[in-house]
Amino acid sequence: MNILVFTKRVAATQEEELRITGEGQAVDLSKVPFKVNDWDNYSVEEAVRIVDKAGGSVTAISIGDAESDEVLRRAIAMGAKDGFLVETGEALHDPFTRGELIRGFIDKEKVPFDIILTGVQSEDDQFGAVGGVLAGLMGLPYASMVIGIDAVETDHVVIRRELEGGLQEKVKVATPCVLSIQSGINEPRYVSIMGIRKASKVERKVFKADGYEKGSPKIELVKWVYPEKKGGATMLDGELADVCGQLLGILKEKGVYQ
Amino acid sequence: MSYTLIVAEVRRGVFEERNLDSLGLGALLGAQSVLLVPDGAYQVPDKLVDVVLKVKAAEEAYLNPMNMGKILEAVFAARGKPDHVLFTQSSSGTESAAYAAGLFGMPVITDVSGYDRDAGVFLKSYYSDKVFGQFKAAGAPAVLTVRSGSFREFAAEKAAAAAAEAIEGAAAVEARTFVEYVEEEKTDIDITKAEFLLSVGRGIGNQDEVAGYEELAGALKAVLSGSRPVIDKMWLPKARQVGTSGKTVKPKVYLAMGISGAFQHIAGMKDSDCIIAVNKDPGAPIFQYAHYGIIGDIHKVRDKLKELAKG
Repeated sequence: MNILVFTKRVAATQEEELRITGEGQAVDLSKVPFKVNDWDNYSVEEAVRIVDKAGGSVTAISIGDAESDEVLRRAIAMGAKDGFLVETGEALHDPFTRGELIRGFIDKEKVPFDIILTGVQSEDDQFGAVGGVLAGLMGLPYASMVIGIDAVETDHVVIRRELEGGLQEKVKVATPCVLSIQSGINEPRYVSIMGIRKASKVERKVFKADGYEKGSPKIELVKWVYPEKKGGATMLDGELADVCGQLLGILKEKGVYQ
Repeated sequence: MSYTLIVAEVRRGVFEERNLDSLGLGALLGAQSVLLVPDGAYQVPDKLVDVVLKVKAAEEAYLNPMNMGKILEAVFAARGKPDHVLFTQSSSGTESAAYAAGLFGMPVITDVSGYDRDAGVFLKSYYSDKVFGQFKAAGAPAVLTVRSGSFREFAAEKAAAAAAEAIEGAAAVEARTFVEYVEEEKTDIDITKAEFLLSVGRGIGNQDEVAGYEELAGALKAVLSGSRPVIDKMWLPKARQVGTSGKTVKPKVYLAMGISGAFQHIAGMKDSDCIIAVNKDPGAPIFQYAHYGIIGDIHKVRDKLKELAKG
């Protein structure tokens, strides 16, 4: 089994306050740390687990600027054999454009594969669409929200998809195929700094994104805006003890705490 | 004639309620609205659309993105291409939407939660609702997935019931087939029955901190639950997950600590009687839904609450 797994370096914004600059032209990420996209971390782990059982090799691919090499080293430290960077300085918001670029790269470089794994979504743009667009473009079978891979056979896989409210569906998908991996599918292995340092010795290939065919973007980002205010919360202010006292007061008033 | 194709989401015989948001956006878009549903005894709100288009397909086949590709091909052949194709923002809706976009070369914008008719732009969440992008689609038909709860109030009743149309389905593809549904395992704890939930999120930082929140839950006689990142990391069992892929809860008090408020989480708890949020980021979306908020270090708040609760 040759598995291609896509991994993206994203801004870690969960704990950060974000500012929009100018008249909505950009989101200021200059003070935000970057990290591997959570969903891709699960995908890389799943890819490595598949080849551990079924044999073959994992190739990690990242689309982004030179800094994205960091997530390739990480993937190699987790067990990927190769790391390919499709280098572009452009922020590719359009999932369709990303899909086209990936197809162009795989076709032109004749990258062999049986399964392509992507994360369900990336933490930054949360489109959740690149895997599906890619499958549609390449005419490959597709499944998203994959929360379990139960069997990997020579010509198909049996997977479970996460639906709503705790329900799952078991689905049989012919290979070659594209699968988008949901977070929580596995417990990704710990990657030590030593491991990443060792992975740095494995050569990562760099490809220039302009070498691959893609059309003009199909969607246009007009501007950034803050979410609409919905009234918001009454903020409890003061010293820690005072704030906590007020909180307990609310719990008493609501009758859930005596 | 221009029209909006609304692809209904159905599951186990039920017409999903979140389809109403697609109908609402369909009404805002203004063109003739055509609701695609598979053949079957679904409760279809046929006064909220112009046309109900029934396709001969079994439910599982209809929910399969590859079959949906064939069905759309047949619809486009019969009626011409629409201006917009709407799907629900859901596990199956987003899956089929993205696949169809790739298959037919259509622009796609997912998780649409707003529409500015004059500017022709769609609002889409970035960074877990901390900011939104205004997007325009270049070319038609554009594929959109519609966020649940965003547009249902715009779904307007029409004078007459919808016209009925029908279309033959295509032979089911073999490259992907449905095997069975898998139900969640039953557990002792049912967080949907709790009156007071203490819910923890990514902000707790690491697994070692969980015990401290279990102690706090004990001291306050609350039940401990969590948001997706905590469940994904296996710090709490799946049965304790609040959100669209977990449980929808409506306790008297929902105390959220270290939860920034991704929409999938908000959708699972927004109807709680009283929501109290503690987070270090004043811009965390959860403060927009909370009744009371505290900006600060959640561990310090936890420890102080424990101390006061004991005293």
